[in-house]
Amino acid sequence: MINKVKISGYRIFREFELEPHKKLNLLVGANESGKSTLLEAMILALTGRINGRRVPDELNPFWFNTDIVNEFVANRRAGKRVAPPEIRIELFFEDRDELQSLCGAINTDVPTRACPGTSLSIAPNPEYAEEFEAWLEEPSPILPIEYYMDEWRDFADNRLTKRPRQLVTAVIDSRTIRSTSGVDYHLRQILADHLKPFERTAISLGYREAKVALSDTGLRSINERIGASQAPLHDKPISLAMDQSARTSWETAITPHVDGIPFALSGQGQQAAIKISLAMDRHSDRAAFVMIEEPENHLSHTSLAALVSRMSDLAGKQQQLFVTTHSSFVLNRLGIDSLMLVSPTTAARIPELKPDTVRYFQKLPGYDTLRLALAERIVLVEGPSDEIVFERIFKDLYGKRPMDLGIDTLSMRGLSLSRALELCSVLGKRVAAVRDNDGFDPDELRESETDWLCKDTIELFIGDVAYGTTLEPQLVYFNGEGLMRSILGVSPKADLSKWMQREKTEVALRIAESEKSIKAPDYLRQAAEFIHG
Amino acid sequence: MANELSLAVAGSGKTRSLVHYCASLPNERRVAVTTFTQANQAVLSSRLAHAAGDHADIHVMGWFAFLLRHFARPFLPFKFPRRRVLGFNFEGKPHRMAKGRSRFLDSRDFAYACELGRLAFELIGESNGALMRRLECIYDELLIDEVQDLSAHDWNILDSLLQSSIRIKMVGDFRQAVLATNPRSSKNKRYAYTRAFDWFREREERNVVHISESCTTWRYRPEIAAFVDTIFGAEWGFPPTKSKNHRSTGHDGVFLVHPDHVYPYVKSFDPQCLRYSASSGKKWDLDFMNFRAAKGTQHERILIVPTGPIKKFLHDGTLLDPGPAASFYVASTRAFQSVAIVIEKAHACGLSWWKPSNQ
Repeated sequence: MINKVKISGYRIFREFELEPHKKLNLLVGANESGKSTLLEAMILALTGRINGRRVPDELNPFWFNTDIVNEFVANRRAGKRVAPPEIRIELFFEDRDELQSLCGAINTDVPTRACPGTSLSIAPNPEYAEEFEAWLEEPSPILPIEYYMDEWRDFADNRLTKRPRQLVTAVIDSRTIRSTSGVDYHLRQILADHLKPFERTAISLGYREAKVALSDTGLRSINERIGASQAPLHDKPISLAMDQSARTSWETAITPHVDGIPFALSGQGQQAAIKISLAMDRHSDRAAFVMIEEPENHLSHTSLAALVSRMSDLAGKQQQLFVTTHSSFVLNRLGIDSLMLVSPTTAARIPELKPDTVRYFQKLPGYDTLRLALAERIVLVEGPSDEIVFERIFKDLYGKRPMDLGIDTLSMRGLSLSRALELCSVLGKRVAAVRDNDGFDPDELRESETDWLCKDTIELFIGDVAYGTTLEPQLVYFNGEGLMRSILGVSPKADLSKWMQREKTEVALRIAESEKSIKAPDYLRQAAEFIHG
Repeated sequence: MANELSLAVAGSGKTRSLVHYCASLPNERRVAVTTFTQANQAVLSSRLAHAAGDHADIHVMGWFAFLLRHFARPFLPFKFPRRRVLGFNFEGKPHRMAKGRSRFLDSRDFAYACELGRLAFELIGESNGALMRRLECIYDELLIDEVQDLSAHDWNILDSLLQSSIRIKMVGDFRQAVLATNPRSSKNKRYAYTRAFDWFREREERNVVHISESCTTWRYRPEIAAFVDTIFGAEWGFPPTKSKNHRSTGHDGVFLVHPDHVYPYVKSFDPQCLRYSASSGKKWDLDFMNFRAAKGTQHERILIVPTGPIKKFLHDGTLLDPGPAASFYVASTRAFQSVAIVIEKAHACGLSWWKPSNQ
């Protein structure tokens, strides 16, 4: 379906290119990375609309990439005759028979390539060239959008005025669910796409007849009374009838009901669920695009689970899905291989992940894969106590918490280290993994992870068996029993190592809050140095 | 279904047969109907709306519009990267020696009408099949009215179309070839005018197209039919025209009118007056129509102000060149009942003179 998305000059995207997956695309990224903007841009080029409204009604100066505008203004002030900022969004479609009317070479691909596609551009209107030049005498970063025009075209250079019929697009945007009528533009669009032309005609006719019938029955006695009135207001007879104009057509009067309750009055979670299932109709035989923004909003964990399983059932045959999410649960369940990491220049897809790894995360949907995906640098540790101790050690070494330097410390909590390393490796992350030796030779333990280790980016750190099998004995070895007792506030009567084994988390917390620094065991110090770089 | 070419004389109902054909197609067939003149386009559109209004996918357009919409506009970057066709230049011509982009596009990037055929044909090849694939997916049938008016590179385009999966149906009359799309082009000169017929014969032998001919007119009187057959010499090999117009009005056939008698004649019969161009027939203050514009129209009676070569033909039998012959043929076949020709002397033709009754 959509093979490629190219965006230039639109909001955060200066130059952006993306080659989406054929079926499912899970767009993840930090806040402000452009997930929603990306969906918005694709909807613009697919439907010519934004939030259900046409471009000229919504266009504002902030649509233009700020960097480009600032450079332009600076260049013009310096007397350079650079071209004004423009916006262009291009969607390249798969070269299928039914899309051929949209096919042509009017796109920015080099070398010249013909394929079906649509593009939306916002460029200076030549009719206002003089006014625009006059404005450029004293340019400001707020572009005069009055002198701009939008053009929505297919790659055959035909101007589009309404969405081409092949490009059925369903937008599920939980933010707009709360519209005044309860049925927003997108939902009405989805409903309309569901009906066959003859069904639509039948509804329209039936609705009009019902209105006529009401005029004949309910309004008759009133009309008779008005007609018989002694003092007519006007010399011609006056009567009441139902409004038959297009303003009151059936589209605005029909609304879905859920178990007898109007759509607008059902819960927000249910509204989102209904929209999604209407949009992803199993029987829809048309090519379609479904855009879902943050399905996790408004949903309890159980309804989200139900919704996600419905989405994964329906995704595939005909539809191409774009889902933005902040939820690891959604990500894991729908398949971590569909992940697209959005940044202002591209959306990186995961190159290859073993199918059993994808399944592994699907079975453990609670695992925070999204954190792995979003972090710049990662430290993988075994459990919460390792996490707390590592953070303290790092702070003592560098004066800052790892998080302040973009380093995320993640505890594995029993998850397979190999799976996490595989994921990090395909995501191209810099990772320091730390684990206990549990009495085994560190070299043997490293052996099973060698596939994912990489000298400068992914390294595994394990303490020497001679200094202790887990974190606690290692701490005692490197700091001495006396210092440990004083940091932990353990009385000389108590057995230090037994207490430490029993109260792992408490040990970690007391170390974290201690005023005295501790000496880091070698493998933890090495891990900190590695990840700090 | 094979590709078809129907050749038929003027007034034999070519447009009507196209309209009937469209109406007979299943509703879901996607059809492009191309014509060469605006007048014809309007006539076809309105007749189709009447007879096949329930067919949503029949699109009538001029041949140039067809080439612009499906050839030049979508695929121009294959010849000139990053360029777009921004408009259409119907009148202008590129400089004689123009090369590259300036051969096809003017300074505003408007496509020259006279080079559009060549541009379109070259794009078929340069798009590596994308152009034809697109067209095949958009249309099931292509109907070409007035196929005799194709010229130069249009023939190569037609060759590509005949090899495509699109079913091509053409109607035309090579005697009416007056509108060459590019008069200056030398490409395919050998197909010009009636020789186009041989082009089709060649393709019929290869089973690419089936040709059928009809020589019966419903429009003009047998006398007119006999006269217009003489415009082309026997070496053209056109079959004689049969007329089924047996309506009589008391003034039927072809008449000669002396210049002095033009006003009385117009007063008596109110004919549509035809002339070659605005510079001819200036001596009379009459409501003239030019030969070119008259194409596709029909009238009860006409009066023709002939050109020098036409006068020579009537006077001493010197045959006209193919272009002027076609043009005179078109003019003469516009009338149902009578054709009057303004001339001083005409020995060779054996036509009778009309004189006002008081003389």
